Amino acid sequence: MTDLHGIGTRNSAPLLSLVDVGKDYAKVETRGGRLRLVFDLLRGHGAAHVFRALDGVTFDLARGESLGIVGENGAGKSTLLKIIAGVIKPTRGSVEVHGRVGALLELGSGFHPEYTGLANIDLAAALLGLAPSEIAAKRDEIIEFADLGEHIDDPIKHYSSGMVVRLGFAVATALAPDILITDEVLAVGDESFQKKCIAWIEKFLAEEGTLLLCSHSMYHIQKLCRHALWLRDGHVERYGPAADVAQAYLAYHEEKSADAKAPIAPAAASAAGVYAITSLALTPGETVAQGDTLTIRGEVFTPDGRVPVVLVGIVRADGTPVYGVATDMDGCEPRQLDLQRYAFALTLPGLALLPGKYVVRAHALDPEGVRLFDHVERPLVVRGTSRELGLVRLPHQWE
Amino acid sequence: MAVSSIPDARNGTAAATRGNARDRALFVNFFRRELTTRYLGSVTGLLWALLHPLALLGVYHFVFTSVFRTTGFAGQSFLAFVAVALWPWLAAQEALQRGTVSLANYAGMIRKVAFPHEIVVYASVSATLALQFAGYLAVLVVLRVFGETIHFEGLIVAIPLWVVLAIAVTGAALLLSALQVFVRDVEHVLMPVLMIFMYLTPILYPLTLVPEGLRPWVAANPFGWLVGRLRDALLEGRVSFEWMDGVAAVVALALLFAGRAVFRRLSPHFEDFV
Repeated sequence: MTDLHGIGTRNSAPLLSLVDVGKDYAKVETRGGRLRLVFDLLRGHGAAHVFRALDGVTFDLARGESLGIVGENGAGKSTLLKIIAGVIKPTRGSVEVHGRVGALLELGSGFHPEYTGLANIDLAAALLGLAPSEIAAKRDEIIEFADLGEHIDDPIKHYSSGMVVRLGFAVATALAPDILITDEVLAVGDESFQKKCIAWIEKFLAEEGTLLLCSHSMYHIQKLCRHALWLRDGHVERYGPAADVAQAYLAYHEEKSADAKAPIAPAAASAAGVYAITSLALTPGETVAQGDTLTIRGEVFTPDGRVPVVLVGIVRADGTPVYGVATDMDGCEPRQLDLQRYAFALTLPGLALLPGKYVVRAHALDPEGVRLFDHVERPLVVRGTSRELGLVRLPHQWE
Repeated sequence: MAVSSIPDARNGTAAATRGNARDRALFVNFFRRELTTRYLGSVTGLLWALLHPLALLGVYHFVFTSVFRTTGFAGQSFLAFVAVALWPWLAAQEALQRGTVSLANYAGMIRKVAFPHEIVVYASVSATLALQFAGYLAVLVVLRVFGETIHFEGLIVAIPLWVVLAIAVTGAALLLSALQVFVRDVEHVLMPVLMIFMYLTPILYPLTLVPEGLRPWVAANPFGWLVGRLRDALLEGRVSFEWMDGVAAVVALALLFAGRAVFRRLSPHFEDFV
């Protein structure tokens, strides 16, 4: 799915433009395979056996519009970032970058382990094409930001992972990139340095900098990025506003971890002569906005003409119960339609559910409200841009 | 497929100029690093670069003049005869070996940073050759001081020959280093091959000692030709160029371009294998 959401409508050329980008990796298991691969590559053929790490990725990125990249491990996130950083060439498609890219790919991002911190600063600056005079001007700034003390003169191989990230971040940021690519590195480093990083990134964003953030933290994605791209098995699963993509991605994970339970077909239940929900519908629909009024209507079948009890519940997509209420708890009864059919309607004004994926369940019970027969489910998606945490919005106020 | 280089690729010539300046800066950085990290780490430091060939020279001198009592060095002392040829050989050998494995030392960078990978090989090969050439000059001076006949005017021929050697070695190192990334055996095969090649080359013995029937085969060895030219120039003082020098230069350049072509074909795939 490609949804441009107005990206690229500005007059200026996009900072970054990817068209149908794909990357294949050669699959070789044996030494002989490696030898054959060399011959294939030299003859100008592609590798015989390939793994498609990335396929058909298309998007534009305008200046100042940050993009978050989400996806499971092995979905192709790192490959995509490496292609944008120019470390690898795509097998298919085209990549255009109009600006200076600062990349923090994985830990150590291109430092030489034998070099001292100081020597690595010079190396990184040389890699970015800075003249020696520019390097000298930036060096003190980098040293100060990294705040490594006298360790700046030690070889990188003796650094802790946190120290490497500090230096890497200090280098990548001091060289005034147009696009900053970071690959899940903010998770390393101590609390105070993380705050420093976030503060720097927010300033960078405020000054029209463009961030390409790869993270498993939907919090960071939503906080720092305007748009997000969800990669799944090498292709774009979803692309759009960060909040939408983050919600869809979280919902996907919730569904994945929940038991897939198929509801009993209403027709089968009524044929079996038990109390059963025969229809269930949500108004205004199965997608509602946070704070809207949701009405849950349905019909219930009674085998012996007695008035059944209906229990309606809402669970999160992963099965966590949120709220449930039955007709007999409130002293209500379903309305009779004919001898064996009763109708019910439950209205939830000002829906307090936070954005995400839920399931609405209706259960049919006997008139005593004891025996629970079957249940019918309807998915419910609550849309919204709220960044509150949890399941529901509780009435609250700050002093 | 259009991949822009970093930095800016919108303006072709400006980007190229900036790219070249960056590549030069990188080369200088790597070159300096090759010299310092290689010798700073060891106790004997830079001295080792000179010590190794000197020790070899001493051993060969002992074996060939005291044990085998070889004669017939065209009126030259064994020391001068071997020294003039041994240094370029050791330089080429070390440059090839280091160049072949050089990419592995930069594996972290190759995986994460965009830069022309061949700069690594250039820096490795040229640092080794520069160091060995300095050692060569030092040894020539020492030999002269100890009364050997060394014709320094022969350097007019010897220096261009070293340049030809450097071009050829760079080409071969590009080829081997690219293959080494995919097939790790290259490094292990190279060692014995170089060893055998050295004994087939008239470095420790003059061509005149080779049996008549085999002589054309040994003479066909391009390194043997180079060694002969160096001896003519530095030991005999024959300062003149031959048409073969031009042929050698052309062959060396051909090797460089072939090696570079192979390297550039394979280098986009280094990231996955290095």
